[in-house]
Amino acid sequence: MKRYSQHSIEIGDFSGVPFWKKAAVMDLMYVSYGIFIVILVIGSYILGAFDLLPYDPHEINLDLLMAPPESTGHLLGTDFMGRDILSRLIIGIQAYFLPGLLAIAIAIIFGTCFGVLAGYWGSGFDTIVTYINNLLNSFPRLVLILLMVAAFKPDIYYIMVIVGITNVPVVASLIKGKIQFLKQKYFIEAATALGLNNRVIIFKHILWHNCRSLLIIQATLGMAEAILMETSLSYLGFGVQEPTPSWGNMVQAGANYFMQGKFWPSTAPALAILFTIMGFHLLGDGLNNILERKQGK
Amino acid sequence: MSKEPVLKIENLRTYFYSKSKQAFIRSVDGVNLEIEKGETLGIVGESGSGKSVTALSVTGLISAKPGVIIGKIGFKANGVQKNLLQNLKNYVRINMNTGRIMEINKDNVGWQKNIDRLMHKIRGKEISMIFQNPKVSMNPFITIGRQITESIMLNTTIKKRSEAKERALYWLEQVKIDSPRLRYKNNPYGLSGGMCQRAMIAMALSSEPSLLIADEPTTGLDATIQSKIVDLLAEVKSTVGVTTMLISHDINVIRELSDNVAVMYGGTVLEHGPARDVLSAGHRYKHPYTAALLASIPNEQHFREKGYLQAIKGDVLDTINMPEGCRFHERCEMITDKISKLCKSHEPDLQDISPRHKVRCWLYCDS
Amino acid sequence: MKLSSVRPIALLISKELVIAAFLLLGVSFVIFIILFLSPGDPFSTMLKGQMLSGAAKAGAREALGISQAWYSQYLSWLANMLHGDFGTSTRTGLPVLGEVIRVGINTLYLTVASMLLTLLLAVPIAIFSARRGMTFFNWTSTIFTYVVSALPIFWLGYIVIYISMHQFGFFPLAFGSSSQKFDWLNFMLPVFVLGIGNGTISEVVRYLREEMERVFSEDYIRTAHAKGASIWKHSFKEGFLIPITETIATKIPFILGGAVVVEQVFNWPGMGRMAWQAAQDRDYPLIMGITLLAAIIVRLGSLIQRVVHIMVNPRASQE
Repeated sequence: MKRYSQHSIEIGDFSGVPFWKKAAVMDLMYVSYGIFIVILVIGSYILGAFDLLPYDPHEINLDLLMAPPESTGHLLGTDFMGRDILSRLIIGIQAYFLPGLLAIAIAIIFGTCFGVLAGYWGSGFDTIVTYINNLLNSFPRLVLILLMVAAFKPDIYYIMVIVGITNVPVVASLIKGKIQFLKQKYFIEAATALGLNNRVIIFKHILWHNCRSLLIIQATLGMAEAILMETSLSYLGFGVQEPTPSWGNMVQAGANYFMQGKFWPSTAPALAILFTIMGFHLLGDGLNNILERKQGK
Repeated sequence: MSKEPVLKIENLRTYFYSKSKQAFIRSVDGVNLEIEKGETLGIVGESGSGKSVTALSVTGLISAKPGVIIGKIGFKANGVQKNLLQNLKNYVRINMNTGRIMEINKDNVGWQKNIDRLMHKIRGKEISMIFQNPKVSMNPFITIGRQITESIMLNTTIKKRSEAKERALYWLEQVKIDSPRLRYKNNPYGLSGGMCQRAMIAMALSSEPSLLIADEPTTGLDATIQSKIVDLLAEVKSTVGVTTMLISHDINVIRELSDNVAVMYGGTVLEHGPARDVLSAGHRYKHPYTAALLASIPNEQHFREKGYLQAIKGDVLDTINMPEGCRFHERCEMITDKISKLCKSHEPDLQDISPRHKVRCWLYCDS
Repeated sequence: MKLSSVRPIALLISKELVIAAFLLLGVSFVIFIILFLSPGDPFSTMLKGQMLSGAAKAGAREALGISQAWYSQYLSWLANMLHGDFGTSTRTGLPVLGEVIRVGINTLYLTVASMLLTLLLAVPIAIFSARRGMTFFNWTSTIFTYVVSALPIFWLGYIVIYISMHQFGFFPLAFGSSSQKFDWLNFMLPVFVLGIGNGTISEVVRYLREEMERVFSEDYIRTAHAKGASIWKHSFKEGFLIPITETIATKIPFILGGAVVVEQVFNWPGMGRMAWQAAQDRDYPLIMGITLLAAIIVRLGSLIQRVVHIMVNPRASQE
C-alpha cells in the first residue's frame, strides 16, 4: 500500500511531511555532509602545513605498536610501527590537496576555453574540440598516468596535470552544451542585439551567471577524482613514497597485518578515503539536484 | 427512444497528487456522460478542465501518481458488457475531511494488475485511441506499417502477417494517405504531422473498435492540415460510422464533427446536449460558461466593433483549491442577486432543461 | 531492417571506422609525444638503424639513426607498428605485441566479467526505481551505491581476500594452484571486486534510471499501451538497449583503470600488472604497447556502441 497524504488542511503547509520524503531536505543533507568534509580537508591541510599535529607522523614508538583507537592519547591509535595514525592521516592530505587543486584549475580553465570556443563560434572549432574530447577519452586514466610515470618522474604534480588535462573534455562539453542551449533560447542573440560585445557576453552573462554552478560541481567531482588517482597511485608505489604518508601507501603498508587479522592500520586510511570521496561526490550530486530543481521550476 | 449506450460514465473521479505542493489534484471530479452507438460526442473545454484526463480514465491509461480512478464506466458493445472500473475501489482508500481529501492509500501493485486484467480485451480491440502530436505518438524506431500490423494482429482475428499487411494497406488507403505502399515502409521521422495522424487514425480503425476516443487529434498540427484531418474524420464518420468521443479545445472542430456536445470545466460537465443547441450563441438556456466560451472565439465583427479580443475574466480554476458552490461562480457574468447566495455556497446538479439537454446552473434549476 | 536502408547503413559504419582510425592515429601521436619529450629518450634505441626508405634515399646522416627529426621518428615508429612490430621489452627482450596480447586476454576476461557484474547489479535497481518511483528501498540502495562508489578498491580487495582465507581457507593469490576445490574463487574474486568497486555504479544506476523513466513517459509508449501492445517491447530499444551500450562504451576506460589496481591486489597476470611492472622498470616499448592496446580496446567498445545505435535508430541514419 502506498500512502499519499496531504498533511494539513491548508495547501502549501509542509510542516507535517516527514523529512525523508522531502527531496530538498535530502539534497541539503548531502550538501551539508559534503561541506563538512571540505572544511575538514581544508582544515587538516592547514594543520599539516603548519605542522600543528598531535604527534610527529614519523616518530616511531616501539613501545606502543598497534594501539587501538582512543588509547593512551592517540585518538586514532598507532600503526605497526607505533606511529600516530591521526597525524599521518592529516599529513596524507598534503599529498593530494594542492595537486588536486592544480588538476581542477587546469580542467576548468582549459575546459572553459575550449567549451566557449566550440559553443560560441561553433562548426570548425566544434569539430576540433570534439575530436580532442574523444581522443582524451580513449585512454584509461591510470594507464596514461603509468605512461607518464615511466616517461618522466613519478611526481604527483605532473600526474595531476595529466588528470586535469583528461578532465578538460568533460568540462568543455558541458560548457559547450550550455552555450548551445542558451543559443537555442535566443539568449545570446538577444544579448548581442542589445549591443553587448562578445567579451562581456561570455564572461559576465554566460560564464558567471549561467555556468558557475556547473563549474563548482565539476570542481567537486574533480577533487574526488584527484583523490582517487593519488591514492591509487601511491598504493601502487608511485607518487608519494614511504616514509612520507599518503592514504594510499598507508593502506598498502598495512596489507600484511590485515591478513593477520590486524585490520586497523589499513582500514583507518581506507575509511578516510571512503568518507572523503563520498563527501565530494555527495556535494557534487546534491548541488546538481538542487540546481536541476531550481531550473525545473 | 434511447438505446442502451455504448459508454456510460457515472460519477467519474480521477485524482492526482502533487509532490511539490503536497496536495491532491481533483482533475476529474464527478463526470457523467453517455455515448450511444454511432454518435459522436464532442467534449470541449479549456486546458485543465479535465477533458483529456476523462478520456485517459476510460481506458485506465493514467500514469501520473497516484492516478486513482473512481466511479463506474459501463461499456456495452459487440457482445461485451462490463464495468471498466470494476473492483478497483478495493485497492483504494480515501480519507476526507470537510470536503477536502486528506489521504489516499492505494495498493499500486494490485491496482495495476487488476486494471490491466480489466482492460486486456478492451484496449485496442474495443476502444481505440488517437492522440495529439502524432509525430511523437508513434514509435520512432519502427515503421508505421509494422505498427499498424502489430495492432491488427493483436486486436483482430487476423494472425498471419501477410494478411495483416493487406489489411493495413487497405486502411492506409481509407485515410487517404498518398502512396500507401511506400508509406508503409516509412518511419514516423520521415513523415509530416498530417501523414502521421492519418497513420494513427488508420491504426486505430484497423482493429474495428466499438468506440474511438480522439484526444485533441488536431492539436499540434498546422492550421491547413488541421482542416484536412477534420475533413478526414468527417468522412470516416460517414463511411465507417464508428462511435466517437472527440476531445478538443477548438470549438470549431467540435462543431464540425459532433452530434452532441459536453462542456467541461473544473473537472465536471457543465452542459451536455445536441451540438446545434449547445453551440449556438442565441440558444435560450445557455450555461454562462458556454456563452462566454462562444463569445471569446475571435470574431472579426466583434473585434472591429469593440477593438479588443473578448476573453473570459478571471483565471482558470485551481483544481487543488476548489471553491465552495458552483465552480464557475467567480468568473460568471450572469449571476443575478436572486441566486448569488446559492451560487456561492452550493453546487448545482446537472438537470434536464429539455429531453436531451442538461445544464448545471442555478439560473435554470430548482434548488 | 529493410534492404533499401542497408546501403546508407554500410556507409555510416564505414564513416565510423574512418573516425575511429583517425582517433587511434591521434592516440598514437599523443603516446609518441609524451615519450619523445621524456628525458629517457626511448626512441633512439628503439629505432636505431630503422627508418623510412624515403629518408634513406635522401641519404645524409639520418641513415645512422642519430638525432632524427621528430616526425620521421614518429613515422618510422608508426610504420613499424602497422607491421606488427611494437618493439621488444627492455626487461625481458620478448616482443611487446605478443606479450601484451598474451596477458591481455586475462585482462579482457576480467573487464568483460566485471562489466557484466556491474550491469547485473545496476539494471534491476534502475528498472525497479523507474517503475515504482522513490521508495524507501530505493533511497537506501541509492545511498549504498554512493558508498560503494567511494570505496577504495584495493581495500575492498583485502577484505575479500581475508574472508576467502578464513571462510574457505583459500589464498587466492596462488593463481592456477593445485587446490581444485576453490580454484573458481581465483576467477570470481577479482571480478567481484572490480565489478563492485570500480566507482561507476552510482552513475550507471542514475543514468539508466533516468533514461528508463524518460522513455516510459514518452507519448509513443502511451499509444502502444492504448492499443494493447507490450510497453516493455516498445521501450526496449530506446530505454534499454541504447542506454546499456552507451554505458558499456563510456565505462570501459574506468574498468580498465580499475583493473590495473585489482590485478595488483590479486597478482592477476594481466595487462594492468604488466603496465605496473613496465612503469617501474621504465620499460618504454612495453608501456607504450599497453597504452596503445588499451586505447584500441576503448575505441572498439565505442565503435560497437555507435554501430548498434545506427542500426537501431532510423533517425541516426538520416542525420
